[in-house]
Amino acid sequence: MGIQFRQVSYHYPSGSINFYPAISDISLSIAAKGEFIAIVGHTGSGKSTLAQHMNALIFPTSGEVEIFGSVVSKRRDKKVKYNDLRQKVGLVFQFPEYQLFEETVEKDIMFGPINFKVPVEEAREIAKKAIVMVGLDESYLRRNPFNLSGGEKRRVAIAGILALDPEILVLDEPTSGLDPQGKKQMMELFKDIQDKTGKTIILITHDMDLVYEHTSRVIVLNDGLLVYDGSPDALFKRDDLAKYHLNYPETIRVLSAIKERFGVDIDVYQKDAISAANVIRLVMGQ
Amino acid sequence: MKNIVIGQYIPGEGFFYRLDPRTKIISVIVLMVAVFLLDSIYHLLVASGVAMILLLVGKISIGRVFRGLRPLLVLLVFTFVFQILFNRQGAILVNETLTLSATSIVGVLFLTVLWRMLARRGKFRFLLLLMYLGGLYLAMRYLTFWWQITTFPFVIYEDGVTMSIFVIVRLVVIITLSTVLTLTTKPTDLTQGLEKLMRPLKVIGIRSEDFALIISISLRFIPTILDEANKIMSAQASRGADFAEGKLKDKIKQVISLLVPMFIIAFKRSEELADAMESRNFVPGKPRSRINELVFNRLDVLTSVFVVMCLTGSILIRVL
Repeated sequence: MGIQFRQVSYHYPSGSINFYPAISDISLSIAAKGEFIAIVGHTGSGKSTLAQHMNALIFPTSGEVEIFGSVVSKRRDKKVKYNDLRQKVGLVFQFPEYQLFEETVEKDIMFGPINFKVPVEEAREIAKKAIVMVGLDESYLRRNPFNLSGGEKRRVAIAGILALDPEILVLDEPTSGLDPQGKKQMMELFKDIQDKTGKTIILITHDMDLVYEHTSRVIVLNDGLLVYDGSPDALFKRDDLAKYHLNYPETIRVLSAIKERFGVDIDVYQKDAISAANVIRLVMGQ
Repeated sequence: MKNIVIGQYIPGEGFFYRLDPRTKIISVIVLMVAVFLLDSIYHLLVASGVAMILLLVGKISIGRVFRGLRPLLVLLVFTFVFQILFNRQGAILVNETLTLSATSIVGVLFLTVLWRMLARRGKFRFLLLLMYLGGLYLAMRYLTFWWQITTFPFVIYEDGVTMSIFVIVRLVVIITLSTVLTLTTKPTDLTQGLEKLMRPLKVIGIRSEDFALIISISLRFIPTILDEANKIMSAQASRGADFAEGKLKDKIKQVISLLVPMFIIAFKRSEELADAMESRNFVPGKPRSRINELVFNRLDVLTSVFVVMCLTGSILIRVL
């Protein structure tokens, strides 16, 4: 179950003759529970297009996507309620803070649930839970979203999607434009959401450190093609990542440089800063 | 919403592309005046022949120009029908009596349903519309049995036909002229040309530079804003706002969910733009240099001569 891509290609409609596919021939399957997936690839590699297929915002030009049993293909099927798929797969766009429009945070978070016919009182309760889930307190509910800081706005916007209680949460570059502290908090937030609810979380990101440290599966896109689908550990052990315009995580880069410079034999594959620091300390002790 | 093309400019080679935008703007205006001065259908046909030759000389595909006409099809059909039905001069060509009876009403309803069903498939829409109108006429003309409710005359006069053809050919020629202008001139060149042409208006206190700047900024930002609108729409659709369906009350709410963010984005963008312009030393009202200065060349002179000849020709025809 979950989401299944079967040979999906997508061309953006355009006036020019030589249009090229944004994604082509992508087949993959995503479980409904427990996965923590990163989608990486350079700018224009089709990450966002792929993400928008996951909740039927765009329809494949060829192939089909199966989302919780409903098949989405080129032809619109009148029997499929596409809107309901958007409740099952919550998609948080890049810079989601721009989608805020209500005069209070509470109303903005309630917008989604009410669209899906949740009674107002219930939606209010959901809003309370959602705002706590993203690490803000209930006092924010009465505030005007436009007076919040950038990071707070983003949390509110994510709360607006969490309020839909989606089975799968897809986030398009949720940490872009945040400072390192904000990034860390954001990642902890997703980790926390996953620990508590077991939802599958899919992240689109450029940040290899986040990928290496937190995710359990990486999907690499290059020029619209799926070039890698597997564990981050195996990915970063490869030595041909430059081919896909990807970097290695900071920890691997620093430790590899030390290994080469001082000719010491260390395990460079450390996922986070603390274990990397421990390795360095060990080397210094020798 | 994604398929809106702003400015129909398509890059190309040929005579029209090498003309100065000022020449093109003035020529189009003068030629339009010349076309308006013509008052006989034969002269007008000559004018449309000249327009065709111009298209051929400029290597502009005629299909492309007619595609530009498509949005105005409704207007053209409307003018045509209006002229034919309401012009009551000249000899009578058709004089029939149409009947509204039980059978003809059924026929009309049947045709309407059939037309809508076929039109939904999206092919040959225009042809279908014409066939529908013809079918309506036939139904009301010949299905006269049972319960005649009322009858009314259907008369077409000779002038009605000539006038409708005249008006349509005139519109088509004029639209073709302006399409040639927009097809072969970059929006930036167009505004620069306008700016130069409006310079004399400084006397009455209108600064043409400001005007040109406003136009070029709006043209520049239409695709950007559309792009943002698309993004916001998708984002709100992800929150269950279905812009296609739903009740009116819900729809209003959904439109607000689009409009508020769009306003915020537009203001933010304009502020950023203002900062960017100021940091590059843009001062409103101060003279600015251009990368590409407009220069007249021999082609422009030739074109001007040709255009003036057209105008004098049509004035002479009109007066004599």
